[in-house]
Amino acid sequence: MAIEVEMATTKVPEVRDITRIERIGAHSHIRGLGLDDALEPRQVSQGMVGQLASRRAAGVILEMIKDGHIAGRAVLIAGQPGTGKTAIAMGIAQSLGPDTPFTALAGSEIFSLEMSKTEALSQAFRKAIGVRIKEETEIIEGEVVEIQIDRPATGTGAKVGKLTLKTTEMETVYDLGNKMIDSLSKEKVQAGDVITIDKATGKISKLGRSFTRARDYDAMGAQTQFVQCPEGELQKRKEVVHTVSLHEIDVINSRTQGFLALFSGDTGEIKSEVREQINAKVCEWREEGKAEIIPGVLFIDEVHMLDMECFSFLNRALESDLSPVLIMATNRGITRIRGTNYQSPHGIPIDLLDRLLIIATSPYTEKETRQILKIRCEEEDVELSEEAHTVLTRIGMETSLRYAIQLISTAGLVCRKRKGTEVQVEDIKRVYSLFLDEARSSQYMKEYQDSFLFNETQTGQMDTS
Amino acid sequence: MDGESKRVLEYLTEVEVAAEDVLTTKQQIVDLDTKRNRNREALNSLKNEVSDSEKVKVCFGSVFIKFSKLKTMEMIQKDQKQLDMEINNLRKGLKAKVNRLNEMQGKPELRGYNLSPLSSDEIKAINGLLKK
Repeated sequence: MAIEVEMATTKVPEVRDITRIERIGAHSHIRGLGLDDALEPRQVSQGMVGQLASRRAAGVILEMIKDGHIAGRAVLIAGQPGTGKTAIAMGIAQSLGPDTPFTALAGSEIFSLEMSKTEALSQAFRKAIGVRIKEETEIIEGEVVEIQIDRPATGTGAKVGKLTLKTTEMETVYDLGNKMIDSLSKEKVQAGDVITIDKATGKISKLGRSFTRARDYDAMGAQTQFVQCPEGELQKRKEVVHTVSLHEIDVINSRTQGFLALFSGDTGEIKSEVREQINAKVCEWREEGKAEIIPGVLFIDEVHMLDMECFSFLNRALESDLSPVLIMATNRGITRIRGTNYQSPHGIPIDLLDRLLIIATSPYTEKETRQILKIRCEEEDVELSEEAHTVLTRIGMETSLRYAIQLISTAGLVCRKRKGTEVQVEDIKRVYSLFLDEARSSQYMKEYQDSFLFNETQTGQMDTS
Repeated sequence: MDGESKRVLEYLTEVEVAAEDVLTTKQQIVDLDTKRNRNREALNSLKNEVSDSEKVKVCFGSVFIKFSKLKTMEMIQKDQKQLDMEINNLRKGLKAKVNRLNEMQGKPELRGYNLSPLSSDEIKAINGLLKK
């Protein structure tokens, strides 16, 4: 028994490494636009393959966004399905870095019962504009060497005390008043703690215990954090730069909402007066040098799903002086504008189309398809034999790239089931027979449509606009 | 030594000088803060432990001179003001120096470095956002 106890105390707690398990998305392999310093696209880089012309165009736009030159402009990425429109947008987002706000939404997301379309759009617009502000505080930061508190013998009356703080460079004694003693005992500060005292408010916060005192006690709570003894001067000035989005400022100032609104995600509608007030305040801050405005990027995928009202709202919103760069993507040709009977290229009204910079994407060649499939295999951790790769590339060329990508993970599963390490042609054949591609599926429909239910819509061209 | 390596050496020297400059300023701030804290301790003990009529010995370099308490306090307070100002100036200069060093090393400029801070009221108003 005694030995067991000793074992338990000397046993170092096992450090378990928690690796974050991320789900693999369709574009998770994109790390950037794959351009070199001269903005020339590399054939294969950062997960991007081919589409050299459109990537180069996107690179030019990216540089302009970074320099802040093209706030309030709009870009349209147009191309057939499966030609990498979303990939280019993701690439732009990745290369902008974490500091530039990037908001992505799909065209159909704005249709909801709780919020009007224009409200959803203006919230998206304001989420894509960042405001950089700075907070500055004078603090006293140091490791507590000693606290000495004298309580009067009578039990009542003012307490007095002394607090000794040190950094690696210096040490000093502070006389304590009643208030400070109270907050020190409230925070349970003791010798060996590293604390900060906010000079303006007198607020004390504990950062943790000093490493040099790590062996003071044998048993310590798991929540005890050890920190280094602070360096430099005791009385420091701390400057913190925050980046918040305009939408976040809107939300906390929209008075009908509690402060919980930000967490529940359901913000409801924000009054336009609140927005105007915020705009005025932010502009005032900018004039005073207190804030920088970072126009970010708003990406609307499947933009043909927007209707006429949304398009006219976009027209107007792009003219506001607090406007982000708008990137849209569509796979439609000449089609009806939603909500009207008029036909227009890309399903976008001509007047809006006129304001756009249009980037076109073109179908991938066989070689590029091969490379994309290879990248996806690496991303999904599937090993592919040379022949299987060739077969898959053929499938990708003849059906669609998306279908071929779907086959990768399914073939990987089949391969693992037969305890193989490398996906062979048979695995591909098997999943090819298990899952139909679009062409074979419609072929099947044509042959057997009489045996399906509700087959009266014989001329049934799907109305997608 | 050919021109190329000479230029590299020159560049490296320049960077080192700039870095040394930053370090010296930092050390200077630490030294001044030490002095400021010692002065503060002196003021406290003068206030609490010495009666008004008493005279105290003040050390100037290597000699001790007897001074009245009030006069001493006045002197130290003046010194404190001077120290505060100097530290502030050094801090301002430090920013420019760090910027210059970053520029020489080809590092990107720190974001939001030149912003003036929000007032405490404004910070309080958007505190909910910052504490995320």
